[in-house]
Amino acid sequence: MYNYNPFWALTIFLAVAVLGFFLFRPSKGWFWVINKGAKKDKKELIEDILKLLYHSENEDKPVNVNDIARILNDDEKEVLESLSEMAEVDLISLSGNHVKLTKAGSDYALRMVRAHRLWERFLAEKTGYDEADWHHIAEKKEHELSAAETEQLAAKLGNPQFDPHGDPIPTNTGKVAPINGVLLSELETDTIARIIHIKDKPDIVYKQIVAENIHIGSHIRVVEKSPERIVFHAEGEAFVLAPIVAANITVSVLKKDVLFEENIARLSMLQENETAEIIGISREMRGESRRRLLDLGFVKGADVKIDLPNPLGEPKAFLIKGTSIALRDNQASKILIKKS
Amino acid sequence: MEAAPKSACETCPQYNAEGLKKLGVNLNEADFVVALAGNPNTGKSTVFNALTGLKQHTGNWPGKTVTRAEGAFQYNDQKYKLVDLPGTYSLLSTSEDEEVARNFILFGRPSVTIIVADASRLERNLNLVLQVLEITDKAVLCLNLMDEAERNDIEVDTRTLARDLGIPVVATSARYLRGIPELIQTVSDLANGRIVCKPHRIKNIPPNIEKAVTKLSNEIQAVYPDIPNSRWLAFRLLEGDNHVIELLRKGEFVK
Amino acid sequence: MKETNVENLISLSNDLRWQIGDEFHDNLAEGIYADAAEIVKGSVRNKKEKGHLRFDAKLDQILTSKYLGFPLMFLILAVVLWLTIVGANYPSAMLGSLLLDTVHPFLKDLGVTVGLPVWLNGFLIDGVYLAVAWVIAVMLPPMAIFFPLFTLLEDFGYLPRVAFNLDNLFKRAGAHGKQALTMSMGFGCNAAGVVATRIIDSPRERLIAIITNNFSLCNGRWPTQILIATIFVGAVVPKAWSGLVSLAAVIGIAVLGMGFMFFTSWALSKTVLKGEVSTFSLELPPYRPPRFWKTIYTSLIDRTLIVLWRAIVFAAPAGAVIWLISNVHLGDLSIAAWSIDFMNPFGYLLGLNGVILLAYIVAIPANEIVIPTVLMLTVLVTGIGGGAGAGVMFELDSANATGDILKAGGWTLLTAVNLMLFSLLHNPCSTTIYTIYKETKSLKWTAVASILPVIMGFVVTFLVAQVWRLLS
Repeated sequence: MYNYNPFWALTIFLAVAVLGFFLFRPSKGWFWVINKGAKKDKKELIEDILKLLYHSENEDKPVNVNDIARILNDDEKEVLESLSEMAEVDLISLSGNHVKLTKAGSDYALRMVRAHRLWERFLAEKTGYDEADWHHIAEKKEHELSAAETEQLAAKLGNPQFDPHGDPIPTNTGKVAPINGVLLSELETDTIARIIHIKDKPDIVYKQIVAENIHIGSHIRVVEKSPERIVFHAEGEAFVLAPIVAANITVSVLKKDVLFEENIARLSMLQENETAEIIGISREMRGESRRRLLDLGFVKGADVKIDLPNPLGEPKAFLIKGTSIALRDNQASKILIKKS
Repeated sequence: MEAAPKSACETCPQYNAEGLKKLGVNLNEADFVVALAGNPNTGKSTVFNALTGLKQHTGNWPGKTVTRAEGAFQYNDQKYKLVDLPGTYSLLSTSEDEEVARNFILFGRPSVTIIVADASRLERNLNLVLQVLEITDKAVLCLNLMDEAERNDIEVDTRTLARDLGIPVVATSARYLRGIPELIQTVSDLANGRIVCKPHRIKNIPPNIEKAVTKLSNEIQAVYPDIPNSRWLAFRLLEGDNHVIELLRKGEFVK
Repeated sequence: MKETNVENLISLSNDLRWQIGDEFHDNLAEGIYADAAEIVKGSVRNKKEKGHLRFDAKLDQILTSKYLGFPLMFLILAVVLWLTIVGANYPSAMLGSLLLDTVHPFLKDLGVTVGLPVWLNGFLIDGVYLAVAWVIAVMLPPMAIFFPLFTLLEDFGYLPRVAFNLDNLFKRAGAHGKQALTMSMGFGCNAAGVVATRIIDSPRERLIAIITNNFSLCNGRWPTQILIATIFVGAVVPKAWSGLVSLAAVIGIAVLGMGFMFFTSWALSKTVLKGEVSTFSLELPPYRPPRFWKTIYTSLIDRTLIVLWRAIVFAAPAGAVIWLISNVHLGDLSIAAWSIDFMNPFGYLLGLNGVILLAYIVAIPANEIVIPTVLMLTVLVTGIGGGAGAGVMFELDSANATGDILKAGGWTLLTAVNLMLFSLLHNPCSTTIYTIYKETKSLKWTAVASILPVIMGFVVTFLVAQVWRLLS
């Protein structure tokens, strides 16, 4: 009926499909890469510089003009242009190679930090994004939020104090709560402490910590400390970290009389015919999922046992407060129990 | 026709079958609005159907009623509109179901709230009951599925329960219409003010939080002297419930 | 005055919240349960050891056991489907002969008697009435059998166990175990399946279930699959085997649909739906004996009639359109013929033809009328004998006669296979689309759910056609 060569039709189709795949595949697609690599718009660059200056001044590691271009990985000429523009509108003061934030500049930077941390909090509480993705998404979003939107967001979240990494969220008047803690790397053995902050930079270290399932709010006890490694127990598991990694975690030391439960296990480890008492829900369970578990009766002090194993392994059904509720392993592993 | 002498049961107000008329969806000019709350899978819709004579589908599925259903019945010449709320485990979260249920109890200002609970799983069900009692003080606990509880050898002392909760408790098996007349009588007593509740308030709260709650609820009382649920409002504000904050700003609570 | 008070309250609550920290919700929830435990201690006496009824526990051990759980599940599903398909045959045939063979000519004559203009008579009776009648005859009986059966299982409490058994498979695709049930419901009717997703209380998984429900062959599509498989696929092998092979082909398509469902669920959860909130909980309620007649009554009212009503509302205008495009002429060809000519090249590229594409466009409201429309249009463009006239859908009693018409329309085995694939992978019917919109309240997700399967259908049929032509 129609004359054409199916071979060529197929080839053209495959070519288009392959091209589409390389252009749009998630995160590594050329389209996204080009989009990301495209010149940042001026506002974003200025805001990034402000944030960089704010953080470096906070950590007492002053940076000069050359550092900025290097750290931000941006064109030096553009950075210079932006800097002089910023000096003109009095966001920074330039003297030779030294850059310093003015009051206006530091206020602006605080607003950016506020937007960033609020958005991370939003992602943690109200969306299903992976923990490892929060920072990147917030890094983009902070430039898009207007001042009014930021306030709406804060109100929607109930004006939270801390972001999910434990960093304080500056108030809209620019107050920042201090983090009073010790770095995990400096903790003596046998101290009991609570994790209050996990630094989300550098990326590689942060992702490693997240992958280890170490979370804010966990109680820990250091059992071994050496220049090579730090070992601590938390929520029924042992963790081994390199001191460099441990230095990204801040803890607050707890008084000696706080009871550290050593024989804590996770609900996922419960065997059939065993009963246990729930100690609590790990901090890594957040937002809606956490509330749901609480509503279903997975609260401190409740007795729990396996009601039904699953033919495919999970979810298992647990008998809790007289009702059979099925939970997947990734949920059960976040409920802390004491076997009885 | 000569009136036959009535048996003791028939004259008893609790068995006043003549006074009851199931009105189905005829919702006109109700004298009272009655809300029906409860956990999923407690036979809430069966109670609803038993009261109204309607035949809403009542699946053995947690969370069947997603939108709210309405029906009506008449008892002793008073019309009651019955609103079946979505079944929820709690009123503290932000899911759509819970919002519907919560808003209705708050703003629908029902004359009476019937809380349906599964007698064999009372502890779990009390979670919702105690929350509802923080919001409204005109409530009755309908202890449903008594037949199942009996088969399970579970005994509930309804008197002690009523005393502890501070509201009337009626044991029912709605599937077999057991206890429904008593439930209707209790609802009517509550609606007409013949029974006054003194509902239980949540006690086991850490002292620092209790202090904050008391402080805030006192402030709320100062601003709105006739609000019945200042403590619950304080809970919501401390939780940072944006929805409630907005409604507060709009003045919804003083109507 | 009041306003400043309110603001004061709010800022006081903010200050207090900062003081008591992040754990307010946990503390409150724990406090309530602690109160509940105290109260229960005073008033509940449990004479037996805590736990399930013996009967429940026994039944659960069987229904969720490693070896019996799955066979029992498939057995029950097979029985339900078998009862539906076989049981629906007789009432369907009866309704068909009543509505299509008796009432239709009667109405047509009545139209003539009361003096309706020919075009209006055709438009109303051949167009609108016929489409509606067709939908009722094909759709009502299977739904009236399928839904009550399903509802009985639901009321008994078996369905949550199915979700429990299968959840692990669905979890790997980023979906919820309860999707197994909405999918099964989709075998009856996709619109009902979409409504059923309400039982999934996690936003991300619910959207996935809604968007992928269309991959369940609904009862409007089973007859198409069976007919085409019988005519074309069954004919390839010796007569003795033809029944078995055509059955295998239909089941193969249904299984392929499940494959697409899992794949699409997985792809959606990894990409566009990544950010939606995802939680999981599944309560296993105690078994309760269903009340047979009440269940039948309510499932008829709640599910069957509502879905049927929506289908009728959508089928009526479709019937009108089908009649109009076949009877309104532009120049010397009807609109239908023009569009078929126009779409033929594209149809050929996909291993289909213009008639099929046009039938799928005008039959969006109901999959039930695709085959009658295809037959009518084929007769219209080929000019062979048979049929009931322009714009009058028809079906033939014998599969052979149907096959003859289709073969005269240029159909080959490839066309048949691709039609079966396209019947699986095309946009949901308009009743379902409307239901998706009602359930999601989002134009975006409605569009995704409608367009995604068509694109997949184009790609799959295209690939099959090219490979087929290369090899033959």
